[in-house]
Amino acid sequence: MSHSGAFLYDAPGPRARRRILLGSVVSALVLAGLLALALVQFASRGQLDADRWTPFLDWPIWSYLLVGLRGTALAAAVVAVLSGAFGLLLAVGRLSQHRPVRWLSTGYIEVARTIPVLLLIYLMLFGLPAYGINLPLLWKLAVPLTIANAAVVAEIVRAGVLALPRGQTEAALSLGIRRGQAMRFVVLPQALRHVTPSLITQLVSLIKDTSLGYVVAFTELLYRAQVLSAYNRLLIQTFLVVALVYLVFNGALSYLAARLRTRVRRQVAPPSGPTEQAADRELETPVVR
Amino acid sequence: MSALIENLDPLLRALGTTVLILVVSAVGSLVLGVLVTVARVSPIPVLRGAAFAYVQVFVNIPLLALLLLFVFALPDAGLLMPLTTTVIVVLVVYEAAYVAEAVRSGINTVAAGQVEAARALGLRLSQTLRFVVVPQAVRAVVQPLGNVMIALLMNTALAATVGVVELTSAVNKVNLVAAQPIPIFTAAGLTYMALALAIGLAAGRIEKKVAIHR
Amino acid sequence: MRDIRLPRRRLPLITAVLATASVAIAGCGSSDSSDAVPGGGGDNEAAAGLDAVYEDAPVADDELILPESTMAEIKERGVLRVAAALDAPLLSQQDPSSPDDVEGFDIDLAKMLAIYILGEPNIEIVPPASETREALLQNGTVDVVFNTYTITEERDEQISFAGPYFTSGLAVAVAADNDDITSVEDLDGRNVIVGANTPAVTAVPEVAPGAEVTSFATDPQAVQALVQGRGDAYVQDYTLLLAAAAQNDDIKVAVQPFTEEPYGIGLPPQDPDFKDFVNTWLTEIEDDGSWAEIWEATLGTVVEGDAPTPPEIGSVPGS
Repeated sequence: MSHSGAFLYDAPGPRARRRILLGSVVSALVLAGLLALALVQFASRGQLDADRWTPFLDWPIWSYLLVGLRGTALAAAVVAVLSGAFGLLLAVGRLSQHRPVRWLSTGYIEVARTIPVLLLIYLMLFGLPAYGINLPLLWKLAVPLTIANAAVVAEIVRAGVLALPRGQTEAALSLGIRRGQAMRFVVLPQALRHVTPSLITQLVSLIKDTSLGYVVAFTELLYRAQVLSAYNRLLIQTFLVVALVYLVFNGALSYLAARLRTRVRRQVAPPSGPTEQAADRELETPVVR
Repeated sequence: MSALIENLDPLLRALGTTVLILVVSAVGSLVLGVLVTVARVSPIPVLRGAAFAYVQVFVNIPLLALLLLFVFALPDAGLLMPLTTTVIVVLVVYEAAYVAEAVRSGINTVAAGQVEAARALGLRLSQTLRFVVVPQAVRAVVQPLGNVMIALLMNTALAATVGVVELTSAVNKVNLVAAQPIPIFTAAGLTYMALALAIGLAAGRIEKKVAIHR
Repeated sequence: MRDIRLPRRRLPLITAVLATASVAIAGCGSSDSSDAVPGGGGDNEAAAGLDAVYEDAPVADDELILPESTMAEIKERGVLRVAAALDAPLLSQQDPSSPDDVEGFDIDLAKMLAIYILGEPNIEIVPPASETREALLQNGTVDVVFNTYTITEERDEQISFAGPYFTSGLAVAVAADNDDITSVEDLDGRNVIVGANTPAVTAVPEVAPGAEVTSFATDPQAVQALVQGRGDAYVQDYTLLLAAAAQNDDIKVAVQPFTEEPYGIGLPPQDPDFKDFVNTWLTEIEDDGSWAEIWEATLGTVVEGDAPTPPEIGSVPGS
């Protein structure tokens, strides 16, 4: 009984329970009606015919798509590692005592957050080769994604650091540890643990972004789906199946993030004042792309 | 630079398309997102489940996959709309999921004790929401929503991949002919930054307006 | 529906290098995968025909493989690296249900060249984004490009061309029930679909200044858009349109080529020995009839009449 809105109302009494039941029935009927409408529309164009779906029960198609999934995983892993490292540096840079470092990091983050990845990809693909810069396919995808994702990772980490009570740094400093060491051994380990859920959420968004490999003809899931659908001419089926694959994998990660988030929230001191609440909010706000 | 000036007319038209897509999708996704949140926190389990499923679907499936599905595949089932309209529809349903997430976490920042206090005073659910929850949640939600809108701006660029001539697509086209990538792409980047800055400033102003001064 | 795959027992060793995911397949596929994809299974006659072509394919005499040359390097390596598409029906199409099967006019010619050098059709395919073909040759990623690669003088400054081996051109496809468009002039005032970054982007405004041009990133997208009525016509290379029309009853090729696009075999720059070698091979397969047989088995399946006469080698500026 602890869904997200539960605290908004009392445990329902008999009359409220009847109303809720009625609401449930009505909304279930409406939703079922919408679904039926969609199915009828699909069926009327023969899109539900068995022979348009059975090919997806065969192994060769899946092995073809799985090669794409491998590419997706590879690109995501490369970008995750690079933007993780780069983002950490940027976060520390933005929190630095040195003004030039702080300004540089802040400037980078603000710029990188507000330029579409696709624009960077087009620049890589069509712009830079004119200057003799022509990277392998994987990097035409990975570099723009890293540029963008590092900025987001930096902001997540920074939020985690800011959410940590000041006393942590102060205690460390009073023990005679230097500032850099305090950051490395006291602040960052705790902050990173707190923002792990957000980082996983960002990983999901990164995996989604690798679908831009489609634009650079890098072999990832969506690109393979496109080539497959051009060949078998089962567009609706192919794209729905591939969407389902994304949903399953990213859904699992999102679920993991949600689980961790409740655990982290329980570990962090329960919110009592406005400051901690604000911090909690920062931790929770989904970072979107 | 010359390439920019020579092609100013198509570039400005493309910028107009970007802004049009941005504004319409922003309004649409805010409305739909709030509706999804209402369903998500409602006492009706079916609606809650549906809203949860909705958010999960659109948060976990790539926007590009949805665009390809809607633009190239669904017409096979008789669902054909003009290109730009299709893109807007996809952006609305996609970003609405993020709006819903942002609004929901805004509601969660309101301490449970406050709601309990309101109920103890005899306020009904609608009154609790109106006088206690929403005024506080709005404050917590403005900045995250601003970020969602900036993300939406970034995502309008994906319209280029399905044949809509918006800013990203237009600069790419101009560059293919003029071959001056640095000035052309820099100008486009600056334009996006300016739009994002405008969204950020607007969010900041709204946040100030709804802030309580203690 | 057609399928011109080779019988399994003599499947050529093809390594499709798909950027990172390299799919190396040893020669003996055994699965019965051909029915997994609609369009699989079928025209065994053509397959048998090409089988014979491969069997009798000319192999270069040893003295043609000059020491220290590119040919010698390829022979040493044991595989010919080719830049070619994977999604161009009739030209170079990968069968998604068995990725080692890539068939079509371009890629079958590449296999013939591989046989000429190596004695067997060992090729490794690198799919290019069409902007990077010059770079692939310049930095030595591939040995040759078979990729509907139009010979131009600008490109010839960066790389070399053997051939031309085929003359195509921009043509116009329309919906099957559309009888209003019969010439390029009819495109004026219409909504015309083109492929992004293809010659059609600039060619259409030249022949039909009043046309509204919409560009799509890939050929399948553009075909789909034409079928859905997002445009009145689709201007694209003749061979691609033929392939699309053959697969799709809803569209037809309404206007024959109105430009001349001579396809060449892209070669690394400043390598006159290799260029002579490839031209010698091309002359040989044109003379012994295997060029025509490959044409019949691929593009010829959707064109009425006999195989065309191949263009004269070196007849185009830049070749």
